[in-house]
Amino acid sequence: MLKNLAGLWRHRALAYVLVAREMKARYRGSVLGFFWSLLNPLLMLAVYAIVFAVIFTGRGPTTSPYALFLFSGLLPWNWLSSSLTDAAASLTTHGALLKKILFPAEVLPLVAVLAQGLHFVFALPVLLLGLVLGAFGTFGPSIPLGWPLVQAVPLFILEGVFVAGLGLLLAALTVHFRDVKDLLATALSLWFFATPVLYTLSDIKQERVRALLLLNPAAPFFDGWHDALFYARWIEPSRWGLLLAIACVSFFLGYALFDRLRDSYPEAV
Amino acid sequence: MTPAAPAVAAEGVSKSYRKWGRTRAFGTLKSALLGRSLAAALAPSEVVAALSDVSFTVARGETFGVVGPNGGGKSTLLKLVAGLFKPTSGRIAVHGKVSALIELGAGFHPEISGRENVVINGVMLGLTRREIEQKLPAIIAFSGLEDFIDEPVKTYSSGMYVRLGFAVAVHVDPDILVVDEVLAVGDEAFAHRCLDTIAEFSRRGKTIFFVSHSLALVEELCDRVLYLDHGRVKGLGDPREMLATYRLDVAAGEGARLATEHRRDQEILQASSPIEENPPSPDASRKQETQLPVEQPLEQKVPLGPDEKLRRWGNRDVTITGCRLLDSSGAERYAFRSGESMTIEISVAPRIATVDFVFGIGIFTPDEVCVHGCNTEIDGFLPERLDGPATVCMTLPRLELGTGTYLLDVAVHSRRETPYDYWRGACRFQVDSPDRDAGLYRPERRWAFAGAVSVSAR
Repeated sequence: MLKNLAGLWRHRALAYVLVAREMKARYRGSVLGFFWSLLNPLLMLAVYAIVFAVIFTGRGPTTSPYALFLFSGLLPWNWLSSSLTDAAASLTTHGALLKKILFPAEVLPLVAVLAQGLHFVFALPVLLLGLVLGAFGTFGPSIPLGWPLVQAVPLFILEGVFVAGLGLLLAALTVHFRDVKDLLATALSLWFFATPVLYTLSDIKQERVRALLLLNPAAPFFDGWHDALFYARWIEPSRWGLLLAIACVSFFLGYALFDRLRDSYPEAV
Repeated sequence: MTPAAPAVAAEGVSKSYRKWGRTRAFGTLKSALLGRSLAAALAPSEVVAALSDVSFTVARGETFGVVGPNGGGKSTLLKLVAGLFKPTSGRIAVHGKVSALIELGAGFHPEISGRENVVINGVMLGLTRREIEQKLPAIIAFSGLEDFIDEPVKTYSSGMYVRLGFAVAVHVDPDILVVDEVLAVGDEAFAHRCLDTIAEFSRRGKTIFFVSHSLALVEELCDRVLYLDHGRVKGLGDPREMLATYRLDVAAGEGARLATEHRRDQEILQASSPIEENPPSPDASRKQETQLPVEQPLEQKVPLGPDEKLRRWGNRDVTITGCRLLDSSGAERYAFRSGESMTIEISVAPRIATVDFVFGIGIFTPDEVCVHGCNTEIDGFLPERLDGPATVCMTLPRLELGTGTYLLDVAVHSRRETPYDYWRGACRFQVDSPDRDAGLYRPERRWAFAGAVSVSAR
């Protein structure tokens, strides 16, 4: 397994060209091209700003202005969910490739995570713009803005590792059980509501429910995103340790399963 | 990796595929979720052996051919050599970088340009980006697609697609080139360029693993040939010898199929009794110029069956009760090699004793070209009596026909050419030429060379 991981590093060039291909292919033929990566989150921000400023106004003061709070959790969530959807399908959609060319198959789910990660990165300037406007009170009560923003970088890396592990696991399972793809859509929407994206854990008053939600391995990541982006708070070292542990466990479990089933992919896809 | 190590060494390699249906897959998911270990859940239930106990070595610089019928295990073997599949048991060791021309252009993304796809494909095949950038002009020139290289690949024709794929694959500069039936695509000029490239690889001491149904090409290119059938090695060695074995097996298989068809045909035709019927319309009948020397029948007694109606006619004063083909040992056979002896045996039974009869045969190609037609009248035999079941044999001591399928017409008619029983396509047989000569007629040949020319026998 470690040998294969080292081999993966040698194939980073392949990962690079495949991610570049995904990006190029995605916007080929559209008039605005790469601008969509910026424009989509911008439109999303506008929609949420309007909806939560005009329609749902009864939020508590901790998550206000709600549009910005929501946005700082929703972008990383979109990355997670679209990555997992793409990664799960990555081996089966590129089946022809696996049967014809010898290359490490794990490149495919990882490329799915990385390509979606790039879209997330392209959306960050929009989020930043929103936060700056928010700091001036454009969306209601003004929010703090400061250095804790840089925590986005390690959060990005850790969430990437966490999602990559799940992506590998799902990709490997989808090869043998096509049902995973269908289950995943439902599971993701359930998971979305079980993860503090729309709310913070401190909003939950019932102790039991909160304890249950804390079991969700994704929860600490989104608490982290809210702290880093919306509240501009520093994340304590113990929470960093937890994030690192979750990311590593996810990656190694996912990779171990992927590696064990490796020989079956060219035949089973 | 010592210089003496063979490029490919296979030792008792077997490969089996698991086979499961839809219900089985659902059962597996359920049991996997119910806590059985995943490995146990994925264990095969029904196994199909694609290769069994295959051993061979390919020396460095050798051009190694693999032939065999579909389903023989050729593609599986290629995938094992390319490292895509792992053997179920046995060992396969490959020394050197393999470039597989298994499916050219695999992994081209339709939306992006040819140039970008070349870079990606090259990286997938193991080049660094720097290497592929350096080789890009040569690859584009080789493909001959300079004018289209910046267009999205989805606008390419299938030929262009394959040309670009081939160009990338050969520029990867592999130690072992795995070629699978790729030369069948692309135009004539490109096929030549591919062959030249393969020949050049061979000159540079590279190993080539070649799979093709074009036996002529295998014979021309390969140093040794492996003959696979049903996943087993049926032979390994000299190309001419292996291909001859393979061709004979194919002919025997074809012969068995034709014999079965022949028996079925005869049963159908024998089952029908001679009943007065309308004659077949002349235009539905075979063209006049290819007709046997029998005048267009006017009063015909035709056997039944919508197809058979047009295949057999006559008043049945004499009935053909059977027609078989025999080889020189007298055994019934429907596949022959050029130059072998072939005997046509016609069994007849007259309704009434007659002194007026002519036996005839005609050999046709499936597209109705008359190869040969003759009868006892033409060959100078005068009828004397036919008053009971009889057998007539005509022997061709040397079957001077080229490779192909032939149809045999047999007939018995009066000397004034009133058909008693005219049976079109009574037999169908296969001829296989040992050489690569072309055409229907395969005469004995002698060559002479005089003057400033010299040749040597292969």
